Amino acid sequence: MANETQTSTVGFDPEGPLPDGEAVVFDNVSKFYGEVLGINRVSLRLGPGITGLVGPNGSGKSTLMNLMTGLLHPTEGEIRVLGAPTNRPEQLFHHVGYLTQFDSFPATLSGYQFVYSYLRVHGHGHADADRLAWQAIDRVGLREAAERKMGGYSKGMRQRIRMAQALAHGPRVMVLDEPLNGLDPMARSEVIDIFKALAEDGCHVIISSHILHEVDMISDRVLLLSGGYVVAEGGVNDVREEMHERPIQVLLRCNKATEVAGALFAQEVAVEVSLHDDRQGVMVRTANAGDFYRFMNQLVLDKSLDIETISVADSDVRAVYAYLIENEGEGL
Amino acid sequence: MSATHMTEASPAGGVDWGLVGRQIVGILRMELRNQLFSRRAFALYFLAFAPVGIMALWAASPVPDKLALSGPIDASRVYAFVFQGYLSTSIFLSCLILFMSLFRGEILEKSLHYYFLSPIRREVLVAGKYVAALIAVTGVFAVGTTTLYLLTMSPWGLGELGRYLFSGPGLGHLITYVSIAVLACIGYGAIFQLAGQLFKNPVSVAVLLWAWEFINPFLPSLLKKLSVIFYLNSLLPVPVAAGAFAIQADPIPAWVSVPGVLLLTAAVLALAGWRARNMEISYGSDD
Repeated sequence: MANETQTSTVGFDPEGPLPDGEAVVFDNVSKFYGEVLGINRVSLRLGPGITGLVGPNGSGKSTLMNLMTGLLHPTEGEIRVLGAPTNRPEQLFHHVGYLTQFDSFPATLSGYQFVYSYLRVHGHGHADADRLAWQAIDRVGLREAAERKMGGYSKGMRQRIRMAQALAHGPRVMVLDEPLNGLDPMARSEVIDIFKALAEDGCHVIISSHILHEVDMISDRVLLLSGGYVVAEGGVNDVREEMHERPIQVLLRCNKATEVAGALFAQEVAVEVSLHDDRQGVMVRTANAGDFYRFMNQLVLDKSLDIETISVADSDVRAVYAYLIENEGEGL
Repeated sequence: MSATHMTEASPAGGVDWGLVGRQIVGILRMELRNQLFSRRAFALYFLAFAPVGIMALWAASPVPDKLALSGPIDASRVYAFVFQGYLSTSIFLSCLILFMSLFRGEILEKSLHYYFLSPIRREVLVAGKYVAALIAVTGVFAVGTTTLYLLTMSPWGLGELGRYLFSGPGLGHLITYVSIAVLACIGYGAIFQLAGQLFKNPVSVAVLLWAWEFINPFLPSLLKKLSVIFYLNSLLPVPVAAGAFAIQADPIPAWVSVPGVLLLTAAVLALAGWRARNMEISYGSDD
């Protein structure tokens, strides 16, 4: 699960070594869009290598990425990237690149002009911008199409030229929102090689996807998001294990709630049982749903229980995991 | 990949103005291309030069009204009237279209984030975009105002025109008219840039502002002063009758009206910079 961490507020030289190798620090960060939750109470530290953010659409992946790049401001909490606050783009973006999900660009420019022009906005002179633009274009394998207007590019080409723009200035932290979308298998493989090369060069790469298998292939660690919460964090195998072992919460309302609570404790099918104030409801946390339901069936017969409701209180997280697993087939 | 990393902090710990200067040049390159050579530029050229075209037809044809004028001195009163219309329609609308789209246009096209993901202060971005649009619009309207003026004075021959310009008040008037056009772009530009940052649908704001400027002659003296056009009209070298129902107010002297418009502009741009620093980008999309 997400670690509760203390965040250092002391700045440091973004060119120098990172404290404990942590490039991105979220300290109890929440983001609300009016009354709608974006992410809630997220505390995390992202270290070197490739980190995958996984979760279904609407889980908060893009919100998290937009927050760490300052496109959104947190409602609560503090975020620092390479020691700089995210509301200081003049410090941040010399060292951070972000490939957003927005498939848009100034329509009248060629691919080269697009990359070159924003390098000039960064403050590079002509010769430097020209060299870096071609380096980035070569890196994404788009040299032949670079002089063409981007309006005529395929989705895969647009994705690659936007990636060239995001990495042209040589960032130390590269944030990529669903970077494999729209790419054919060959292009995916090439782009994944770019991510790996960036990570080998010491760049912190943060990639989002709604397909677990996709990030499984390339990530050193994974953050699993659901409904605006980080629900699991660690290596891919750790996350799988954590999801399998994760206790589920079941809410039960019946006429003999106190007796049910006692019986559940006695048989050790629950890891936690709490009785509702009105003595008509029980909240049960169990690590083994099968055993719990079998025991409940027996209890209904033995005690002549009159059950009003029985519902899983946190089915969302399991549903998310099931969704991610089911989508693995769509992977690379 | 190797890239030369730059930081805004100079060795002395202050702002690296050289870097800021290069960033503004980068913004100007992008924005001038947008303002002068995109589809949006068509509206600018049309609004600036359609009146010039009409005036050229007037100047070239033997219109009885024109012949009733005795010469450039008479024509200068006609020009004052024409310029007022040019100011309140062509220049106003061009500023509206160009400056309002600096941020709002890019939000609609979903391309503003590229600037926001660059290592530039948002205030520098606001200034860079503003200066670029100002260069475009003042350049076009300086040419438009001058051409319109010369065409109005031209039917009496080049000799008469030359005498009026260089031996009479003509050149001074022309410089004043061009300066008013530039000042209008400066003031309206800042207001419309801010409106484009503040409002999702700035057109309704623009209509309200235009209506406010339009009814300015009929407003009480105090309310007149809460508009840009009042200060600009005060600078006109040849006064224009405001009409039978207009409420007269003493014109503001140039040493008040020019700094007044510039101060208003500075205040509005400061607000625009603050707003830009606090802007978020989501383009209304879901995760």
